Amino acid sequence: MRYLREGVVSIHFAGIDLGSTMTKIVILDEDEQIKASVVYHTGAEHRRLANKVMEEALSKAGLSIDDISFVMATGYGRINVPFADRQITELSCHARGVASFFPSVHLAIDIGGQDAKGLKIRDGKLLDFVMSDKCAAGTGRFLEVISASLGLKVEDLGDISLRSTQKISVSSTCTVFAQQEVIKHLSAGVPLEDVIAGLHDAIAGRTARMVNRLKIEPDVVFTGGVAKNIGVVKAMEENLRCPVLVPEEPLLSGAIGAALLGKEHVLKALARGETIQTGKRRLEEATFFQ
Amino acid sequence: MAEPSRGLLRAQEIYQDRSKRALELQQQGKKIMGYLCIYPVPEMMTALDIVPYRIFGDMREPITKADAYMPTVNCAFLRSCLDLGLKERYSFLDGIVTSHICDVGSSLSGLWNYAVKTPFSHHIDTPHTLHDTALVQERGLLPDYQKALEKFAGRKMMTENLREAIRVHNEQRALVRELYELKKQDPPLISGVETIRVIKAIQSILADEGNELLREVINEVKERSDGPQIKSARLLVWGSILDDTALPEMIESLDANIVMDDTCVGSRPYFNDVEITSDLMDGLAQHYLMDIKCPRTFRTRDYYDVRKDYMKDLEFRFSYLSDYVRDWKANGVIMESLRYCDTHGYEVAGVRDYLDSLGIPSIYLEHDYTEGALAPLRTRVQGFLEIIS
Repeated sequence: MRYLREGVVSIHFAGIDLGSTMTKIVILDEDEQIKASVVYHTGAEHRRLANKVMEEALSKAGLSIDDISFVMATGYGRINVPFADRQITELSCHARGVASFFPSVHLAIDIGGQDAKGLKIRDGKLLDFVMSDKCAAGTGRFLEVISASLGLKVEDLGDISLRSTQKISVSSTCTVFAQQEVIKHLSAGVPLEDVIAGLHDAIAGRTARMVNRLKIEPDVVFTGGVAKNIGVVKAMEENLRCPVLVPEEPLLSGAIGAALLGKEHVLKALARGETIQTGKRRLEEATFFQ
Repeated sequence: MAEPSRGLLRAQEIYQDRSKRALELQQQGKKIMGYLCIYPVPEMMTALDIVPYRIFGDMREPITKADAYMPTVNCAFLRSCLDLGLKERYSFLDGIVTSHICDVGSSLSGLWNYAVKTPFSHHIDTPHTLHDTALVQERGLLPDYQKALEKFAGRKMMTENLREAIRVHNEQRALVRELYELKKQDPPLISGVETIRVIKAIQSILADEGNELLREVINEVKERSDGPQIKSARLLVWGSILDDTALPEMIESLDANIVMDDTCVGSRPYFNDVEITSDLMDGLAQHYLMDIKCPRTFRTRDYYDVRKDYMKDLEFRFSYLSDYVRDWKANGVIMESLRYCDTHGYEVAGVRDYLDSLGIPSIYLEHDYTEGALAPLRTRVQGFLEIIS
């Protein structure tokens, strides 16, 4: 294969999505099959974590770093991946990743730990996007804070909300004010499931208003950590008034998209007869301040 | 890295230490007049040998004192201006002229008088529409302003001096346009960051000194070999005040050159000359009310006709932007606005609809007038560039 560097004996593409809350890495083989994936909480030490998740993913896949043909980094911390060959935004990567699962996608919604994104996609290409503001209202962080204040696990919120018979209306998705509203409703004797269903509805409503500018048109795909919450998925369907598709592993769409875009980058460069620019391949311990 | 050329270096020095030249001129006996926004007719100051010195904020300085006077939901640029006034960063000013740029800007005028207490102040109640009566009002405001300036300067404004001042300022406009012509090439001969430094510099010194600086910069950028490189995107930036290079630096650190702008520390004050009319005040009133295309002026001449047709209205208000896109070969537009700048914020929908109607890709960035808050915008800009490139 012409695009193998000297000494490389297999063809694999890695995508690493260093998000504000979670770091995800995926290694794809030549046939775009997932050989390994790893998900970690991001924390503060981006560069060290990037090395760690790569080492773990390589170990799972039974590969060495030299087996990776190209590493594409994305996400909030994409510039903090020392071994990346190229960086590209999570907007393009999510679009590419989602289109690989659902080629007919027209609108992708990704709600992560700190922001929400709407992506308008046609024929697998990103045409336009909207993003939430820097406030974390209506994101995964919002649910984490509320669940912590209620003494619940965030992963249990979805199932609890499904028991709701009369969800309440939460007028604010500001984390601070919504907490006050939750306490007020619980003090008034409103069942917990109705309060949580109301919170999910508030997130979905806020997101639906945000993505409305892109024109809501099926297929709609929902990704990101919040897409694991069945309560938010259902609320999203109600607010968007259309079915919402969720990939099997909604956290990985950005990393998968990054790996696929890495592969496309390599193939395009080779088609043009260009040399592929890759970064240094050696994984090394990085300090926080490097 | 090559040495910066002399004109650009001087512009950068003035940009970084704006008051230095003003203080030198003050030592020589000249009076320094601060002015807020571009509407206080600096030609009239120049005609009286007063140094026009535009008031800016400082996005790298946290706002700490102004919050006692202005709510935090007011535009951060104006809050920053007041904050700097309260911190005595403008204590050298002999006077200040404000205008009704917007409601908050107008309020700032009173607050400045109350809390900063610059020795002289004057407020021009500039109207906000292009109606004939508005032009009459703007024209009617200028004699009072003239009298106030004459009292401040201690001398009469002679017609020939005003005519000469208009000529000098028109020369400056022509030089700025000549500089912008050099941005039509690919790569542009001067970057967006450098352009802001130059424009801010000329708004900090005497008009004829500014013209000399512009001539130096034009000659130097034509000859240098270390200018901007070709990049995938050529951008037009439209929006509210950018008096710091931080946002353009972020944009130009990506795969993009800013080749044209419609901002007031940019092309906006310079793309139309003041007409030399038989009564010079007529030309000044016409220019400052009608010719400057800032959203602070509601630019619909015939409300009851044009407003019936939305696209016709957009064409009337924004067709110059499509000219900019065509002539400077921009392949994308960044619309930027300071948070809580209502005048620009309300205009965004119209600008976007107009650009959409022409198939010109655009993105809207709202920012907080703080350097650190620009980081999250990087992803949006980079995502936009990935789409258009």
